[in-house]
Amino acid sequence: MASNNPYLPYLGTLVGVRDLATGVKMFQVALDDPGERADFTYQPGQFAFVSAFGVGEAPFGLASTALRGPVLEFAVNRVGTVTDALHRLGEGDVVGVRGPFGNWFALDEMKGKDVILLGGGIGGAPLRPVIHTMLDQRADYGRLTILWAARLPSLLIFTDEFDDWRAAPDTALHVTVDQGDEAWTGDVGLITELLEKVAPAPENAVTITCGPPIMIKNTLLTLKRLGFSPDQMIVTLEAKMKCGIGKCGRCNLGEKFVCTDGPVFSCAEIGKFLESF
Amino acid sequence: MQVTTREHLTAWLDGLARHLTLIAPKTVEQRVLYRPVADSSEIAFDFARTDLPVKEHFLPPTHVLLSIEKGKEGVRLGEPSPERERVVFGLRPCDARALRVLDALFLKEPADPYYAERREKTTLVGLACREMGEQCFCTSLGLAPDEAGDVDVMLTVMEEGRGGEEGRRYAVQVMTEKGAAILGVLNLEKVEGALPVPAAGSKTPVLEAGAWPRLFDHAYWARLADRCLSCRLCTYVCPTCRCFDVRDYEVPCEGASSGGASNGSAPGGRIERLRAWDSCMAEGYRRIAGGHNPRLTKGDRLRNRLYCKFCYYPQDYGPVACVGCGRCIARCPVNVDVVEVLADVATL
Amino acid sequence: MGEGSELIDKIRAKARELLQGGRVDCFIGYEEGSRGRARPAFIYDPQDAERLIWDERCAHNLVVYLHQFKSPLRRGEEPPRVGILVKPCDSRSLNILFREEQIERERVYVVGVTCDGVRTNGQPQERCRRCAERVPLVYDIVMGGVPNVLGRDDYADVTKLEQMSPRERLAFWTKEFDRCIRCYACRQACPACYCFECVAEQLDPAWMGIAIDLSQKQFFHCMRAYHLAGRCSGCSACEEACPMGIPLSLLNRKVAREVEALFGYKAGQDAETPPPLATFKKEEQLPL
Repeated sequence: MASNNPYLPYLGTLVGVRDLATGVKMFQVALDDPGERADFTYQPGQFAFVSAFGVGEAPFGLASTALRGPVLEFAVNRVGTVTDALHRLGEGDVVGVRGPFGNWFALDEMKGKDVILLGGGIGGAPLRPVIHTMLDQRADYGRLTILWAARLPSLLIFTDEFDDWRAAPDTALHVTVDQGDEAWTGDVGLITELLEKVAPAPENAVTITCGPPIMIKNTLLTLKRLGFSPDQMIVTLEAKMKCGIGKCGRCNLGEKFVCTDGPVFSCAEIGKFLESF
Repeated sequence: MQVTTREHLTAWLDGLARHLTLIAPKTVEQRVLYRPVADSSEIAFDFARTDLPVKEHFLPPTHVLLSIEKGKEGVRLGEPSPERERVVFGLRPCDARALRVLDALFLKEPADPYYAERREKTTLVGLACREMGEQCFCTSLGLAPDEAGDVDVMLTVMEEGRGGEEGRRYAVQVMTEKGAAILGVLNLEKVEGALPVPAAGSKTPVLEAGAWPRLFDHAYWARLADRCLSCRLCTYVCPTCRCFDVRDYEVPCEGASSGGASNGSAPGGRIERLRAWDSCMAEGYRRIAGGHNPRLTKGDRLRNRLYCKFCYYPQDYGPVACVGCGRCIARCPVNVDVVEVLADVATL
Repeated sequence: MGEGSELIDKIRAKARELLQGGRVDCFIGYEEGSRGRARPAFIYDPQDAERLIWDERCAHNLVVYLHQFKSPLRRGEEPPRVGILVKPCDSRSLNILFREEQIERERVYVVGVTCDGVRTNGQPQERCRRCAERVPLVYDIVMGGVPNVLGRDDYADVTKLEQMSPRERLAFWTKEFDRCIRCYACRQACPACYCFECVAEQLDPAWMGIAIDLSQKQFFHCMRAYHLAGRCSGCSACEEACPMGIPLSLLNRKVAREVEALFGYKAGQDAETPPPLATFKKEEQLPL
């Protein structure tokens, strides 16, 4: 059987664990085997399974980009047994990593265009490598507009990077929360309301949306109203998965599998889905 | 044509059972199941269709994917020991075809090594059907009750010879090199004659994959699912259903796998990552973290199951994921009858 | 059984009347299935009441379907009102659900029907042979003739089990549960199994694992039998649904017999008596 077993994870060590938001932690994983580390090449948009040995594994979008180093980063929201087990781990603990899986954002096709990124809650995680890539290759892309949202201020992720993002040339960051708190002085309202306010122009533009299903659906409707065509609207979807390689049958939407045909889809493709996500 | 007798067959099977795992139809209380047998005396030679398909020996209800050992030196992953060579005896053509259907998915890159190994190490000795059962509809799917192309050796029951059961004759068709290799010392006799032709049953129309999408939003599916209990047994008795779940469990000190409860792991302990059957018909099957469930209603789930079999699987992998064995028809407690559904769908 | 086609006409007329009058949104009964079988029917339109049948093939316990009518059919509406056809055994399930406050009595119009026993594939079901209740215990209207045969439950099957030594009993149940495939058909067919999240599938805490192996299967069935103690109506829907022919009813009957001996209680006789395992009485005396 040996090494061509797609169910066999790589072993990795947690080299960093930090809080990102209430119930959300950032895990930095360094794969133990140098050969595996070198082989693990991935693109923004792809995902990997992270194992909390003894409980199980779950899929997480890769929140890092190889452009900035070999350490793999995952933003993990504590919602179930696997994520709970991961949250109990600390630096030095061993995890498993299987991947990278799925397709990725066609960033090359976005060069020269204006890019609008919409991240809701933990959905912002797969957009982070896109932001990093575009900031690191700033001249290749047009105007960058980031809309960031969460239910509460304490649930906003990557707040420690907001200054960096804002500081980049021709880059705007707009943040909103569904519900503010005493300290919050920013916008309050849904991301769709913020989107209407910002009203980015659809000409020569492309959008990427990620967040809870209801947020994605409403955002796409709003983008459509603002004049964006289905091909200009990219999303990345979440599904319950057990294998990541199209075998377990769980993540299908019609004849498409989120793990192998996605998780990145255009609105045009989703429009052809038999099933709603 | 080559023939052998029951007596010679049993002697041959006894020989096989001595040096590899022989899996054959066996009566287990009120059911007939493909089970490992110690010798031919345990085999139920006269059976119509087993109650569970042969898939349980290629995609076991539960098996170990990996072992995880946490020691002072760190974590060590282990893969299961190699499987033994096996022969499946008495495989009906529908179940054999079902393996081809599963091959299209599980052997597709990246191949599933657990399934692939079992497939490779198993020789299939089929038993043709002389007639179709009341719930059978293999011919509607382009199969035949005597289809020999999916097995390594095909046996067909001929008429009883002199001397009762012992003299019962079987025609023997060697289909592959693997089949030729396994026959070994089986006593064969060349005779004149032809294989019996099974009686043709009635056929039900099966819409091809491309015709299903336009029916997706039809009210038919919700109505059909009103009586569905989400009991999931259709997916378990089905030869081509394959959805699975994966989870880790601590192994008790004795070393035997318990599949038991674990919310963490003790340092220095041994963990097994298990794979077990699961079913798309369960309410929570597709529920994601946060609670959203794209297939909330029974209608959504039943529709998905039928579409998976007749629309999605053929689009993704080639074959229709149904072989017309009729087990789901026989066992569904509330008479969700896939033949009836296919006939209805053709008129919607 | 009953007066044949005259009784069927009465049932159809009642269903039609209930639907036409808006008294119910759906009538649950039986209809002609495929291959000579009967199956559950869901009638939403008065005209479709013609589909309803009633004969000895109508074995299913339809009360299980009441759980899916607890929520409104459309947002902003009240939960639907439902008419249901019940046999005497099914009516016991109804009483249990009324008592456990799972179903509101006012939301259900109960058409009871007397019964001389049902058959599976032409064979009389074992439970009917020993059934002493031929008239439903709860109904808004009862139909059918005076029942012919009155059975008697001598618990012979349970006695046989009790005569085995513990070791023999373990061997018996191990042999039976060995071929269980953990499909949960038994649980899904049971009107008394309505937990949103079954203990068998809970992940946190994980009482059981996902493995389909003997230890998990034994645990599941024993756990379910305990959870049904004092709640099982003896309808045998579990055993009928089981694809592997496991005598599940026997296990439930053994537990029911224990409950009857300890508390003098049989589940489903009425909707008022507090179930003993959900009730604490200071004066309880249990054998030591």
